[in-house]
Amino acid sequence: MAQVSLKNLKKSYDGKQDVLASINLEIDDGEFVVLVGPSGCGKSTLLRMLSGLEEITSGDLVIDNVRCNDLAPAKRGIAMVFQSYALYPHMNVYKNMAFGLKIHGAGKEEIDRRIKHAAGILKIDHLLHRLPRELSGGQRQRVAIGRAIVREPKLFLFDEPLSNLDAALRVQTRLEIAKLHRDLKATIVYVTHDQVEAMTLGDKIVVMHDGHIQQAGTPLELYQQPANLFVAGFIGSPKMNLIEGVVADAGASGVSVTLAGGQVLRTEVDGSSLKAGDRVTVGIRSEHLWENSNGSEQFTGTVNLVEHLGEANFLYITLSNGQDVVVRGDGEREVAIGDTVSLSAPAASFHVFNHDGKALRRLKPGNMVAAKRVA
Amino acid sequence: MKRFSFWHVVVFLAPAFLIYTVFSAYPLLDTLRQGFYTTSDTGHQSWIGIANYTKLLTDPQWSDGFWNAMKNNVKFFLIHMCIQNPIGLLLAALLSLKGVKGAKAYQTVLFLPTLLSVVIIGFIWQLILSPLWGVSESLMTHVGLGEHFAPWLGQEETALITLALISVWQFVGIPMMLIYASLIAIPEEIIEAAVVEGASPWRIFWTIRLPLILPTLGLVTILTFVGNFNAFDLIYSVKGAIAGPNFSTDILGTYFYRTFFGYQSQVGSPTMGAAVATTMFLIILAGVGVYTFLIQRKLQRHSF
Amino acid sequence: MTKNIGKLSATAFTQLVLALFTLISMFPIVLIIINAFKSRDGIFDNPMALPTSETFSLVGFHKVLDKSPFLHFFENSLIVTVGSLVLILLFAAMAAWALSEYKFKGSRWLAVYLAFGIMVPIRLGTVSILQLAVQFNLVNTLTILVLVYVAQGLPLAIMILSEFMQQIPKELKEAARCDGVGEFKIFFQIILPLIRPAVATVAVFTMVPIWNDLWFPLILAPGEETQTVTLGVQQFIGQYVTDWNAVLASLSLAVAPVLLMYIFASRQLIRGITAGAVK
Repeated sequence: MAQVSLKNLKKSYDGKQDVLASINLEIDDGEFVVLVGPSGCGKSTLLRMLSGLEEITSGDLVIDNVRCNDLAPAKRGIAMVFQSYALYPHMNVYKNMAFGLKIHGAGKEEIDRRIKHAAGILKIDHLLHRLPRELSGGQRQRVAIGRAIVREPKLFLFDEPLSNLDAALRVQTRLEIAKLHRDLKATIVYVTHDQVEAMTLGDKIVVMHDGHIQQAGTPLELYQQPANLFVAGFIGSPKMNLIEGVVADAGASGVSVTLAGGQVLRTEVDGSSLKAGDRVTVGIRSEHLWENSNGSEQFTGTVNLVEHLGEANFLYITLSNGQDVVVRGDGEREVAIGDTVSLSAPAASFHVFNHDGKALRRLKPGNMVAAKRVA
Repeated sequence: MKRFSFWHVVVFLAPAFLIYTVFSAYPLLDTLRQGFYTTSDTGHQSWIGIANYTKLLTDPQWSDGFWNAMKNNVKFFLIHMCIQNPIGLLLAALLSLKGVKGAKAYQTVLFLPTLLSVVIIGFIWQLILSPLWGVSESLMTHVGLGEHFAPWLGQEETALITLALISVWQFVGIPMMLIYASLIAIPEEIIEAAVVEGASPWRIFWTIRLPLILPTLGLVTILTFVGNFNAFDLIYSVKGAIAGPNFSTDILGTYFYRTFFGYQSQVGSPTMGAAVATTMFLIILAGVGVYTFLIQRKLQRHSF
Repeated sequence: MTKNIGKLSATAFTQLVLALFTLISMFPIVLIIINAFKSRDGIFDNPMALPTSETFSLVGFHKVLDKSPFLHFFENSLIVTVGSLVLILLFAAMAAWALSEYKFKGSRWLAVYLAFGIMVPIRLGTVSILQLAVQFNLVNTLTILVLVYVAQGLPLAIMILSEFMQQIPKELKEAARCDGVGEFKIFFQIILPLIRPAVATVAVFTMVPIWNDLWFPLILAPGEETQTVTLGVQQFIGQYVTDWNAVLASLSLAVAPVLLMYIFASRQLIRGITAGAVK
């Protein structure tokens, strides 16, 4: 098991613009780190730099106190699971798993023992003598993971391993990967573009955009305290509601913001860096806009569209000041298009971003759902 | 709902079917038939069973020439298999490497000779190898091999090999392109998986790439086989129908031609020619049969 | 560092091998062409040199054009090649359409029957083809060459075009049929334009062997009037074998059209091979 640190890692092609700019990241032993971001954000490039498939332009990659920049992939003690599984089509499952071990000169019995063990964990014992094309997508996925497990690597790298599976299988395999991580106590770096995968699997989530790390933290940190507008928009579904406004009054214990239409909103964030007149963006998650008047900040609006999910519904509402918001409402409550509704939210539930898009620290990022009931 | 009529099918298929049948299928079948006939001096044909074939295979007047041509043709084929196809494989492997500068240009030039007429190529090499002109000799002298030069095309021991090498020179582009196409069809991730597992480029080539392109190597083999056992133009243009010196470059194609049209004192015979053509047909059919039923079935095509 | 040196030497090796083979495949052709533009002395004194003002001479070309109807050979080759090509493409496309679109009794057997000609060389039927030509009074005509080449080219063309037609989305044809468009109109106005890229590839594949063939012109149309370039050059060189200027010039003339075509079509051709050959 491994402790990995990335120091000022950079990647550029032919000396042109940086694809990745100065990546700094610490990965603890046994940690499950998810790199997440939209396509083209550099997450796959970063993973391939860890694996050694992509050269590191500058900076240091240190695995267990050994600088690995110039080590061949096989010498880094890593194993990789590819998006397309990349099973060798002409070898059966057993030979697929044995290939890497043979290269490293493992004995016959040792190879056999490791394969049987991995096959047991993944429940693919009965498939060992089949060729990849005779397997279903889910089975191929397991073999690809098995091929990584038998190598007993210090570090597992997963490149969007679930994106070729259908929705139901994806959920199931996700759970299995989580269980595998727990059982093997393995260090894992996992790339995905799917925020649900990221939130459910990661001990630490690294949100990337345009070659930069936007924020790294636990799932809850990202949800409660997104560092900037990009992370705020990327994590959470439906997207966080964002409302433009101007600071009326700011201090360490809260910021008041004047919205379009003149309403003044009180928020509980550390506003010591702001002054009256600054332009800011206020954010509120759809589940924090309540269809009651328990919150301190009050709104009214008209329902444009209702999406019924069963346990909840999404109400698309235009507020009286013309701002469009999404509200996650009680799924079993009858709401009709055209209804006028009153909404409220506690001052503590708001996020505020300055004109650079950076978030101000929320003072009480606690459990808003509980607050809704208590109040 | 029946959305097409009998006439649609007939109109669409008739031209191709008719021309193919009259000028390809029928002549082939008729050739098989004529192999069992003999031609009298007046040109009348009469049935003689397998006599043509026994003559061809056992009567020294015919069989010496036939087996000589057969032996030469096998040699011709083996030279292609041992030199043309490995070189094609080497070039394809190099071209398919990542980031080879000028790969497209190399490909274009290396493939060019395959498009030129075999006749022209034959003449060109005849000139280059000619002791009269001395191009080869002076080139070899430059690299210190001057005394090894010989009029290769004129010597009994070297003429066939030289012709085969000329043919290799011309057609190496075909295996190269076919193998190249199948090499680049292998998904990059499969190769990367092997890299991550620590396989050297050498090992990746032998244990991953090569097994995955075996079907293409099979295809290249059968194409070489059919092409070689049907060859004629090169030998005829360089050495004429006599395939000298002393029949040392005679292959089945030239033997067929001489049998059919005659040469020097021997009178041509369409029926005997048909027997030779039928024999060639059976050889090629056997090759294609072995390929389809044994090799192609065993070699699984991998869909990636 | 050692890794970089290894990589560098591997690149150098690759470039070296490729450059060497490229040189080997270019050399003979270039040698013939540059010497075709030289005087007899220039050809023998220094074969490797480019023509200089002293050695430059077009005497070879003059001789070829004077002593043989070379332009007429070109004309014959062009008529045969283009004629065969047009018929092959049209008939093959029609047959491929019928075979891939209409399922009728025996359509599979018909496809196998037509595919047989891909592997079995038509040359083996020469005895009977010559007899047919005599019977139809077509010996020494370009027509018999065209007919034979069409028969030779059809099988492969049908196979490649069928594969392409199967990839055309069903919806396109069904939409047309729903609009009441007739089958012939569908074929000529919808299908043919769609398979244009495949047609181009097939065209190059089919054209080259026809242009270069020696066997059938030699046997079916050896008369002076109907000689193609390949046969014409072969006969001409046989006759003037000692006149180096003329020989070199005739070879250059014979190579020229293919070289010119390749300069324009090499991209298309190579793409066609790399995309289609794997199947």
